[in-house]
Amino acid sequence: MILWINAAIGLLVATTILLLIRRDKLHIRHGVFWLFVAVAFAGLGFAPPVVDWLAKILGVGYPPILAMLATITVLVIKILLMDIDQARQEVQLQRLIQRVAILEGSLQQRIKSDDEASKS
Amino acid sequence: MTALASLPPKVGVVIPALNEADAIGQVVSSLRSKYDYPIVVVDDCSEDETSQIALQAGAQVLPLAARLGAWGATQTGIRYFLQQNFDVVVTLDADGQHEPESLPALLEPILNGNADVTIGTCPGRVSRLRLLAWMMMKTTSGLRMEDITSGFRVYNRQALDELADPRATLFDYQDVGVLLCLQAADLKLLDVPVQMQERCGGGSRIFHSWLVVGRYMLQTLILGLAKRRLGTRMEGKV
Repeated sequence: MILWINAAIGLLVATTILLLIRRDKLHIRHGVFWLFVAVAFAGLGFAPPVVDWLAKILGVGYPPILAMLATITVLVIKILLMDIDQARQEVQLQRLIQRVAILEGSLQQRIKSDDEASKS
Repeated sequence: MTALASLPPKVGVVIPALNEADAIGQVVSSLRSKYDYPIVVVDDCSEDETSQIALQAGAQVLPLAARLGAWGATQTGIRYFLQQNFDVVVTLDADGQHEPESLPALLEPILNGNADVTIGTCPGRVSRLRLLAWMMMKTTSGLRMEDITSGFRVYNRQALDELADPRATLFDYQDVGVLLCLQAADLKLLDVPVQMQERCGGGSRIFHSWLVVGRYMLQTLILGLAKRRLGTRMEGKV
């Protein structure tokens, strides 16, 4: 039963992802990942023997746990990738803030120099 | 290392400042009365009159639009002076701890080409608890500098190029991460004993709350361990 629920959730998520991409709420780069995950969920749900077969090979007594473990692994990797991407964006943002400060300081200095030149 | 060129090296001073209205005017005035170096105060989004007072005292102010921390502010000043083609940058705290009289002692090894970075050290100024924190940081990072948290430093051009790099932007503090970055570039770092004063105003950004200290220590110890240079150790002392 759990695998059928998994399949239903997978289909629901896949539909939601497509809708979000369609409405420009989700970047296609992220959408591809989530769509892939959703389709994989749905696929596993519709083909329980695949999970049973894999679980038997790997020696897992309760096959749905294998699907859960795979899901958790994928999510952990995704979160790690998100943190890496956030660090990259943070560097970009900090350097942009620094650049604005440098430009603002230079501009103030130039205005001050021009004022002094015009007075003399 | 930078050799002495025919033209005297261009030296600039960077002072990162956060809510230092009580001290910044005196720090800038004191420096200006003794040296002719351009002074840049990087205002880390202060909520007081730090910017205005620094300007009135004769410094140039670079106002950050969002708070980046002491290192983020210092790197802004470094990038500014690099853009202006300066050869040497002095960094010091805005709270009046660092005495301008000590500057020649820090500059000399840099100008003579005997060091790439000099660090003003005054271990006697800190509490036993902070010395314990330093010992832990040195153990994990492999650094052997006397005072790894001192903000009173002089950097030559090679060191400035390293520190202006985007890879150095993610550091939250200017201690272990920055020193390990310089060490990884095979730069020569020297401790220079200097006198330091009590803070004129404000307070430490780190050592004011146990929670912040805990987070700082955890981050710094892990950073030191992750970036520790295998096999060799940093040396140098004047």
